[in-house]
Amino acid sequence: MTGIEIFGAWLSIFLTVCVLSFLYDDNPIYKLAEHLFLGVSIGYGVIEIYFGVFKPNLLDKLMNGELGGFQRSLSIIPLILIFMLFSKLVPKYSWLARIPIAFIVAAYAGVKLTGELNANLMTQVAQSIPDLGAVWAEYGFWSWKHDGAGVFSSLFLVLGLSACLLHFYFSAPQNKAMQQVSRFGVLTLMLSFGASFGYTVMGRISLAIGRAQEMLGLDRLPEQVAQIHPRIATVVSAAIVIAFLVVWRRRQGDDYTPGN
Amino acid sequence: MRSTIPLVLTFVIGLFMVGEYFIPHWRYHQFTQVFLEWGLILAAAAFLLGLFNLVQVNLPKVVNKEEDWGYKLVMLAALVFTLVVGFMGGTDRLSNGQAYKWLFDFVFVPLNATMFALLAFYIASAAFRAFRARNLEATVLLVAAIIVMVARVPLGEDLPLVGEKLPQFMNWIMDVPNIAARRAIFIGAALGAVSTGLRVILGIERSHLGSD
Amino acid sequence: MKLDTLVRFQNMDRRWIFLGMGIAILIPMLFPMTLPFKVDERVQSLYDAVEEIPAGSTVFISADFDPASRPELEPFFRANLHHLLRKDVKFVAATLWPSSPPLVMPIFEELTAEYGKEYGKDWCFLGFKDGKELAIKAIGENIPETFPQDIKGNKIGDLAVTRGYKQAKDFAMIINISAGFPGTREYVLQIQGQYDLSIASATTAVSGPDYIPFYKAGQLNGLSAGMPGSAQYELLVFPDGPPEGVRLLATQSVNVLNVGHAFIIILIVLGNIAFFVTRQAEEVE
Repeated sequence: MTGIEIFGAWLSIFLTVCVLSFLYDDNPIYKLAEHLFLGVSIGYGVIEIYFGVFKPNLLDKLMNGELGGFQRSLSIIPLILIFMLFSKLVPKYSWLARIPIAFIVAAYAGVKLTGELNANLMTQVAQSIPDLGAVWAEYGFWSWKHDGAGVFSSLFLVLGLSACLLHFYFSAPQNKAMQQVSRFGVLTLMLSFGASFGYTVMGRISLAIGRAQEMLGLDRLPEQVAQIHPRIATVVSAAIVIAFLVVWRRRQGDDYTPGN
Repeated sequence: MRSTIPLVLTFVIGLFMVGEYFIPHWRYHQFTQVFLEWGLILAAAAFLLGLFNLVQVNLPKVVNKEEDWGYKLVMLAALVFTLVVGFMGGTDRLSNGQAYKWLFDFVFVPLNATMFALLAFYIASAAFRAFRARNLEATVLLVAAIIVMVARVPLGEDLPLVGEKLPQFMNWIMDVPNIAARRAIFIGAALGAVSTGLRVILGIERSHLGSD
Repeated sequence: MKLDTLVRFQNMDRRWIFLGMGIAILIPMLFPMTLPFKVDERVQSLYDAVEEIPAGSTVFISADFDPASRPELEPFFRANLHHLLRKDVKFVAATLWPSSPPLVMPIFEELTAEYGKEYGKDWCFLGFKDGKELAIKAIGENIPETFPQDIKGNKIGDLAVTRGYKQAKDFAMIINISAGFPGTREYVLQIQGQYDLSIASATTAVSGPDYIPFYKAGQLNGLSAGMPGSAQYELLVFPDGPPEGVRLLATQSVNVLNVGHAFIIILIVLGNIAFFVTRQAEEVE
């Protein structure tokens, strides 16, 4: 590793600790890191958009002599649409931006419409209708070995789905039977949301594990760890940030109220 | 005029893109491909519009030294620096030794990853403070969450007394009630998306065009 | 226990909980445990689908993740590349996430070099494309028009690996490493059904429950969710442990989740005990 890379690895750990300082409270060192992140990430977005979209799909096509006249002139249209979009910045002509906005909204509306209809509506409905005879023959009423597959689960799926849909049917008359069905729907939804919460906890902890791996040097090969000494970098960074927080907290005096 | 052209354009382009699914003829797809390319160029341009807006809002605050101007200066300076090293790097910008790559590896990565890692701590706090078995519905949610949390990790795969039953029951939750609930949400969302799409294409929904 | 102590316990400074969470993550990393784990059906199905791809075929990889989701998805991404490369499967890769190219390009370069694969002939990376659903639709229709150049600025027509592969349906499989929007859901919605594509998805734990209906409906041929999914895939690709110089980060980390989850469950139980005892005491008063 080069010197600048080792310095980078230390900076990376220091910035990690700066962001973690938010757990103590919102503080200037966190805010600094936050604004640095905003600036860098927007810059990244622009660069990748330029090299990923504008250059290959617009500028190079406009300049490309190999393309026929018709194809090249077609590339002028999105350029004109971009200028129209930027008229939003000039209040007097901002109405011009409606044309590119109309174009893009219409394109999205068109592709969303067919995609949702096919994959989310038709396929999901079709796949929810079980062949109970085949299910009975293969799994019986309930098979632990196959994670509870069987007639019971097939019926639960159909009834649970129907109950959830009826629960979402807000304009339906709320008689007693409807309330019972709706309640079953809510319980099915709760089982699903509970499972989602469990998965979310897992996901969030995984992200923290990723940061801890870097701070402890567990994500690198031994020879890199020997050069960087990530654990020393972590201790030094933590010491600097804690010292800063102590000074900052003292300066606040009695006015201090935890912000987060 | 200012409204009619966008409305007609919405109708024509929207209908054309719906047709893309139903008409597999290559010549038709030549047209839709052109529209798709324009669409992705415009989506990228919308991001740039956001960039100009950001500078338009923040630069005067730095110049006039308004509240938090120092942070905004850091943001704008980081933005300009990233743009400079990115354009200087060109198509080689992702190679080792490039400033752009260095900035990504050692500034963007830790900041981006740690911002999201903070959520692990907040979800722990939420679990302690807000996750209460107040009624049957909340209890079902809580029990499902605990079953998933136990059975999804190696420790819960073969617990005494329950053995493999717990992961199997967790898989049942994922495969049956979870799918029932998700499909209901999908179907509801699909109906919503279809009706919104039709309203946009037919010009009934015009909020995206703003007011006159 | 006195009522006010319980009330204080319920309202304790949340920073103590943060500290506890930090310890629950650090301790098992410093003193690792290595409990075995099983492979679930969805990950096995993904592995089998990749296993069935004949040598010499080409797949399309959509690497749609960022540094924030790296701990969950990078281990899968690496293990999957090992799997493809050792089977002599070629790949054309792209991404719909702007922060993905600097993350994935070095991994592509490192692993393809390890297997002696040549850029342009055995693999290529087309880079980032904005437009979300529109970009996916365009990948379904015409890849050379959508990506006229690769990440290095080469014309797509000059790359041997892309010759004969005009649309998504021309590839043996689409492998989507998806951290959210745009990702697997959009691939399924926009082009899977329209072109009857074979799509495998590795996603974050948060998106996992959302994509299970797609898997069960046959719209995905395999699904790996979160860090456990990645660890299971690593186990399938390297059943006898990793070769020298390869680190199985998800396998190394999955046991850390044991303690993290246990800590959250303890918090839920303690929070509920305190809540119910307080409520009962208040009712008696």
